[in-house]
Amino acid sequence: MKKYECTVCPYVYDPEEGDSSSDIEPGTPFEDLPDDWTCPQCGVGKDMFEPVE
Amino acid sequence: MAVFEITENIYSVGAVDWDRRLFDELIPLPDGTTYNSFLLKGDEKTALIDAVDPTKKDVLFENLKKINFEGLDYIISNHAEQDHSGTIPDLLKAYPDSTVITNEKCKDLLIEMLEISEEKIDIVQEGDEISLGDLTLKFKMIPWVHWPDTMLEYVPERDIMFTCDYLGSHYATSKLFIDDYKEVEDAAKRYYAEIMMPFRNKARENLSKVKESEPNILAPSHGPIYNKPESIISSYEKWTSKQVENKVIIPYVSMHGSVQGIVDNLVDLLIDRGIEVKPFRLTKTDTGNLAMEMVDAATIILGSPMVLGGAHPKVIYGSLLAGALNPKTRYLSVVGSYGWGGRLVDQLTEFVGKLDADVLDPVIIKGRAGKSDIEELKRLANDIEKKHKNDENVN
Repeated sequence: MKKYECTVCPYVYDPEEGDSSSDIEPGTPFEDLPDDWTCPQCGVGKDMFEPVE
Repeated sequence: MAVFEITENIYSVGAVDWDRRLFDELIPLPDGTTYNSFLLKGDEKTALIDAVDPTKKDVLFENLKKINFEGLDYIISNHAEQDHSGTIPDLLKAYPDSTVITNEKCKDLLIEMLEISEEKIDIVQEGDEISLGDLTLKFKMIPWVHWPDTMLEYVPERDIMFTCDYLGSHYATSKLFIDDYKEVEDAAKRYYAEIMMPFRNKARENLSKVKESEPNILAPSHGPIYNKPESIISSYEKWTSKQVENKVIIPYVSMHGSVQGIVDNLVDLLIDRGIEVKPFRLTKTDTGNLAMEMVDAATIILGSPMVLGGAHPKVIYGSLLAGALNPKTRYLSVVGSYGWGGRLVDQLTEFVGKLDADVLDPVIIKGRAGKSDIEELKRLANDIEKKHKNDENVN
């Protein structure tokens, strides 16, 4: 599963960790995050994330 | 601000803030700013596009009195930030029959920040149109310039586009249009550096929404409006591109002259190598000028003395600012001076956060720069020259 990084702040979404602040279970791929999920650090939307090369 | 008729039945009714000297409590505004608001008088309905900062509420209301219109049907809110939306609650009191038109994201923010009642707000989406009779508002969403909520309107009958913060400038002027783009270019760049640069991928993407309509007049919500839109569009294309200039900026602090000596030497070494260089002594610098140079400098060199067990707090602030503005800088390094050791480089490179630059070997000197240290500075200058020459993204 691919990690995705925020293009605005240093946060990286790691699917193996999920995002406990939004009740996202570990093992959730980025693609399966709800459309209204936002960066837990700076608040931008999913459309501001890019896959980590 | 006086009332201007921009084009038939479309009026500029906003306010000039000649004396504003700081925006977001962060970036100095040497030229003041304006809060632009536009009244569109169709033959059936009337709409106001964006309002003004609450400090200039009276100017807006006075201006509206100068125009003959019957009732205000729509208040278009392109962006919920208070310098454009803060007067909407007053407008709703003065024109109780009017409806606020905005998008879903902006609606949420207007309710949360200004406590505007949900029933007073109607939603538009990408591609929606509202007719004022002989004038049509066509809405397009341009999120992340610089909030998630921003949208624009194009009025085909007059070939004019209202882009809110996008493509704006902090520039107080009594003129409606600026004849010579050079007069406003620096102000627009300063504005881009602070507001748009952290979101520059979106600032670039959204250009297509402007260009596809080929507007004859572009009316942002700060600064003069453009009757030659290609000038500001081409600036945004340049600023948001991957290309940087063969330029080094050196934000630094020197307490007793050691770092000053290092910076002076480095400046000369870079000039000798044909590289443009701009040192910024952070105790005297206008941070807006520094931010503007970050827009297209290939390299940033942070210069700091050791003090209180670490890098100088003002230089840490410089690196934090670079991290927050997230420019397209390609290379980063540190020069510094110490007396008896401490953590300087790690601290400064850590604070730049998101900035995606290759770190070149730093030059940290004990005391003043001696002969052997000059050799190390030459090595850094040579590294910078080589990197710039071999990098296709450096002009």
